[in-house]
Amino acid sequence: MLDDDTCACADFRASRRTFLRGAAVAGAAMATTTMGDVFTQTAYGATAANPNVLVVLSLRGGADGLSIVVPHGDPGYAAARRRIAIPGSQLLEADAMFGLHPALAPLRPMWRAGTFGAVQAVGLPAPKRSHFDAMEAVEDADPGSPERRGWINRVVGNIGGGAPEQAVQLGQPMVPTSLYGPAATLSVTELDRLRLPGPTDVESVRMHRQAYAAVWDDAPGPLGLAARSALSTTARLRSLATTPVQPQHGASYPSSDLGRAVAETAATIRAQIGAQVITVECGGWDMHTGVGTSDDGQMRIRLDELAATLAAFFTDLGTLSAQVTVVTISEFGRRVVENGNAGLDHGYGNAMLVLGAGVRGGEVHGTWPGLREAALLDGDLDVTTDYRSVLADVVRSRFPEANVSEVFPDFRPEAVGVMR
Amino acid sequence: MALCSHGALADDPGVSKPLPSPALRHLLSRFSFGVTPGLVGQARAAGGGTGWFERQLDHRSIPDDAAGAMRGWFPYLDKTPSQLWAEDQTAGGRQGWETGIDLQRWTLLRRIASNRQVHETMVELWSNLLHVPSPEPKSWPMRPDYDQVVREHALGRFEDLLIECVLHPAMGCYLDNAVSTSRSINENLGREVLELHTVGIQSGFDEEAVRDSAYILTGWKCDRFNTWEASYSTGDHYIGPVRVLGFSDANGAADGRELTRRYLRYLANHPATARRVASRLAVRFVSDEPSAALVTHVADAFTRSGTDIKATLRALIAHPEFAASRGNKIRTPTEDGVATYRALGVQVQRPSRADDAGNAIAHQISTIGQAPFDWPRPDGFPDVADAWTSTSRMLGSWQVHWTVAGGYFPATGVTYRPNAAWLPALPARFDEVVDHVCRKLLSRAATTRMQQAASIYTGLSAGTRIASPDDLSPYRLAKLLATLLDTPAHMNR
Repeated sequence: MLDDDTCACADFRASRRTFLRGAAVAGAAMATTTMGDVFTQTAYGATAANPNVLVVLSLRGGADGLSIVVPHGDPGYAAARRRIAIPGSQLLEADAMFGLHPALAPLRPMWRAGTFGAVQAVGLPAPKRSHFDAMEAVEDADPGSPERRGWINRVVGNIGGGAPEQAVQLGQPMVPTSLYGPAATLSVTELDRLRLPGPTDVESVRMHRQAYAAVWDDAPGPLGLAARSALSTTARLRSLATTPVQPQHGASYPSSDLGRAVAETAATIRAQIGAQVITVECGGWDMHTGVGTSDDGQMRIRLDELAATLAAFFTDLGTLSAQVTVVTISEFGRRVVENGNAGLDHGYGNAMLVLGAGVRGGEVHGTWPGLREAALLDGDLDVTTDYRSVLADVVRSRFPEANVSEVFPDFRPEAVGVMR
Repeated sequence: MALCSHGALADDPGVSKPLPSPALRHLLSRFSFGVTPGLVGQARAAGGGTGWFERQLDHRSIPDDAAGAMRGWFPYLDKTPSQLWAEDQTAGGRQGWETGIDLQRWTLLRRIASNRQVHETMVELWSNLLHVPSPEPKSWPMRPDYDQVVREHALGRFEDLLIECVLHPAMGCYLDNAVSTSRSINENLGREVLELHTVGIQSGFDEEAVRDSAYILTGWKCDRFNTWEASYSTGDHYIGPVRVLGFSDANGAADGRELTRRYLRYLANHPATARRVASRLAVRFVSDEPSAALVTHVADAFTRSGTDIKATLRALIAHPEFAASRGNKIRTPTEDGVATYRALGVQVQRPSRADDAGNAIAHQISTIGQAPFDWPRPDGFPDVADAWTSTSRMLGSWQVHWTVAGGYFPATGVTYRPNAAWLPALPARFDEVVDHVCRKLLSRAATTRMQQAASIYTGLSAGTRIASPDDLSPYRLAKLLATLLDTPAHMNR
């Protein structure tokens, strides 16, 4: 299964998850007759004035932007990466400086249609080469403040509304830093888990809710808040939880954690519950070894999955695509020079991908600082565009009612031009 | 139903009379995976909380045959890395990820069943500080042995624990030190040793220190994805002066092993490490936001004792802030799952099929949002309430409470407590039944709110006369048990 240093991490995760799903199905089958919340509640009137949705895809581990939006026109690129450089002849949609990794072929039609673009040499205002520090800083996006509050939490707090499903994380239950803060948010592994346990007949569910209220109505602290949120959310989102996820328009997602989470993202958008920002995590980018070449290795595996997932997502959305924008963020780029294991250690400047509604695509935005020795920062691609400028562009374009200076406090965004 | 001799818990010890004092229950709750009447009995036999804690610190002297026998249920955990690798590489052979999940399963079962509860809590804490995920693709054949090393030193000296863990091939393979050489340095482990395992980022180490830390660690090799043999390679050790914080050395010898140990000993005894370890302990056992005074108190004990873990823990529980912190820590998802099995007295047997309890438990508990060692990054699970109080975590907990309380899943390889065993002497009023069940389940009396909730959900008024076990249907009993588990009393520790 793992035959060399270009280890099949994705397969490792996938086979394991497949196994776990098998166990889950067996467990669920046993309980079919006793579970499932059929209690009818007044549908939540989630007719937000602004139907736009922003999907934030976090590429965890520090994705190598130079392997995704490849600067083949810079002589420093091939020189630094004798074993892992992607030859210019294999790149897609190449211009004199940049071309896309060949694994992004499923997204080529969007690039040509101008709904898929990229920004190069983006990042934090100063390098942080620790995953955890960098992720925290990227998602907090308010370096001057000691308050731990994520930028997505500020977006929904700023727009107002108050329902947790305004900002949703799909794929895992832990609250990420970007969502963390005083505005209520929702983190769920799978949509069909948004229901109460126990018998499903109307009277039992009604009594169960009353029983929960007796225990939790004024329970203090984060646990009390979470319990009350769970109770109100399950009431509002009953139909989303009980309708099977059914991709539309022939969309076919990879059978991976990412594919499933993004398919559920599309289903959530289609259900129009008032979700405005949805985040999904996509791990596996920390490639200290075995980055690989254009047609094998870790980068190829990861990008194949990413591109197939995003292409399926926009197919699935159909005309709803006109309301949905996807942006990718990773905590840092990687060192320009490959290491001794044909891998890449932690670096600085990176690329961001932006797809969907409002995007000025088909081109690479940003200011390229170059890869010559003097242009590098401690051996890393320098940052010429603060990543917050890209996010500010996206927020301003999709949520004009939000006050960008409150979402990114003490920061003056520069014009990036990646959004119309 | 017959009780299996290899069951997870000793025979039903009934209800504690009288109930443990709040102070005793607090100590037991923080330093175990769930208070049971059996655990209260052990504490009383040891003369109370202090006696119990001292006895627990000497963990090897505590009889633990039933939990010990569970090791034999997962034979792959005791195979050598090369045996595991050969299996994995054989079509139809045991796959590595499944061995990684075996470690999760065995760990959960030990947390449920072991009499050495303080040791189990400390194994969890150190495994999280010196985190190597399981399953994990680059290190999995060495991961079961790494766990044994953590267990060996979990109540010993931090200095020894740190040296043995950082230099273990599982850590070297996971954080790439196994392939770092003087010619092509990989600084992954060199950085995390400073940032995560010891002094932390607040100590102010710079990028040159990271590089020198990685230089010091060169030479500790492991033949990843091949023989998995660990070795020290003098030819790969970087030679030349190194400086990390207050540690410096000419590093002139090709054999850097003694230097490495001296370096790690320096880091283990650094004041910043003392504060960091003290803070981790305080967050784990006292509160999400421990006072600076408590952290200093514990850090001083750590330093004074030469990183002795027992002395450090004694200082922690003696501090008034520990006693004052009752009820203010929420259980992480795995703790919730384990405590649920303990509270319900579920007896797990040796598993043979995938859905048998001993196998299914790992997935079942992961649906709450966490499985042992399944954190994808080297910084380990967060340990504060805000990380574990999402809507979906609450729903996941409640779902597992219901499923296990009703005995619905797992349905095989397991024995649930017979319904009649939950009930007091009959006849009794329903509110007396609720109180009795609550004492048995949570070692505390039912509150008015619990009584109300139980009455509403079961549809039985407080005065309803329960004359025989048949008057409380299995369904109603499941509702009652789940109602009591779905409360702050069970979801806090």
